[in-house]
Amino acid sequence: MLKPLITHFLQHLTTQNSWAKAHLTPFAGRTIAFDFAIIKTNLIVLEDGSLALGGETMPPDATVYATPSLMLRMLAKDDAAKMQFKITGDTHLATEIAKILQNIRWDIADDLSKVVGDIPATKLMELGQKTADQIKETSTNLAGMLSEYWQEEQPMIAKKRLVEQFNTDVDVLRNDVARLEKRLAKLTKEMMF
Amino acid sequence: MTTEQNTEQNTHFGFKTVAEHEKAKKVAEVFHSVATKYDLMNDVMSAGMHRGWKRFTVEVSGVKAGDKVLDIAGGSGDLSKLFAGKVGSQGQVILTDINASMLSVGRDRMIDAGLNVPTLQCDAEKLPFPDNHFDCVIVAFGLRNMTHKDRALAEMQRVLKVGGRLLVLEFSKIWQPLSKIYDAYSFKLLPIMGKILAKDSESYQYLAESIRMHPDQETLKQMMIEAGLGKVDYYNLSAGAVALHKGYKL
Repeated sequence: MLKPLITHFLQHLTTQNSWAKAHLTPFAGRTIAFDFAIIKTNLIVLEDGSLALGGETMPPDATVYATPSLMLRMLAKDDAAKMQFKITGDTHLATEIAKILQNIRWDIADDLSKVVGDIPATKLMELGQKTADQIKETSTNLAGMLSEYWQEEQPMIAKKRLVEQFNTDVDVLRNDVARLEKRLAKLTKEMMF
Repeated sequence: MTTEQNTEQNTHFGFKTVAEHEKAKKVAEVFHSVATKYDLMNDVMSAGMHRGWKRFTVEVSGVKAGDKVLDIAGGSGDLSKLFAGKVGSQGQVILTDINASMLSVGRDRMIDAGLNVPTLQCDAEKLPFPDNHFDCVIVAFGLRNMTHKDRALAEMQRVLKVGGRLLVLEFSKIWQPLSKIYDAYSFKLLPIMGKILAKDSESYQYLAESIRMHPDQETLKQMMIEAGLGKVDYYNLSAGAVALHKGYKL
């Protein structure tokens, strides 16, 4: 029953974000696949401008590939991560749909208000937002503290500066080896004559 | 040539072979018999899942306000009711069925719900509608009972507008590891439930047999392509016990 539930949720989202329907309608009947290594899913744009899960056999018109780490960066709102998505097929379709999906927002307060009423829904949302902010702040502090500890006190992870230096050294070494290889080849050729 | 055309004189009625002209009569007897208990039996047999399958069908149809929808073999009108909400007052849903008993149940439900849904008794193999008329044609749990499925699909394609969609919701081939449990349920438990709740075990024996005789997902997809539909795809629901096929008139 997962397919009907996910489709129901997608339709609910497009109904809440009615602006998206006008942008999606020109792509009606087209399918886009999202391949995130551990999760693969196909979405189809319907004739009414809403989204649904794609069927079992239809090859997608476009595919967006991303690694799980890239997805985590997207969740952390790292805009540079967007540039690293790999797209095959109809790139116009893929970029437009990805853009729309990024701007679609789930209005949880609106849904909650239908169950518990407007005021409790607003209060619950404020509480949820506060908790989420607190968790985010605590996680960031903890991550910062641990990375400092593992870099300075108990070196387990390298510092960014050292990694960059290492990468530069490797590049220099690779160029030196290439030059040496060419020189050796030249000397070998001269000795043969 | 399809199998149905090869066996021009005979067709299947469940596991039995009957003359073509007898099938419609026998199917009609089944549905006359179960009409009043049809909804209750659907709920019991599918543990209420049929409601989710139908809602999903409406959601992937892409039907919008103002569209014209034809519900074939619509029986008690579950889908017509859902579609009526989607098309709004500017659109139109027509509920049809070959069986008068089922159709009268559906018509009464539409009236009780205050919906303006015309009902029409007609044969899906000879639809009384002009070409290129509907935005969406739906047949749910009905194709299985039709004598000439290929003719019915061709008719559905004919009445669709270009860009219109045909949706076929029907029992299909279940995921192999579940087939033994499903067989036990269909052939042992289903007739008993039919006997207790609808006082009619034979009709539910027919239901189980007709499901097994119905084309699987890929075969039905091919039949839809042969009927002139394009971009045909399907969704397996409940591990393939039911499949929803969708095709476009291109």
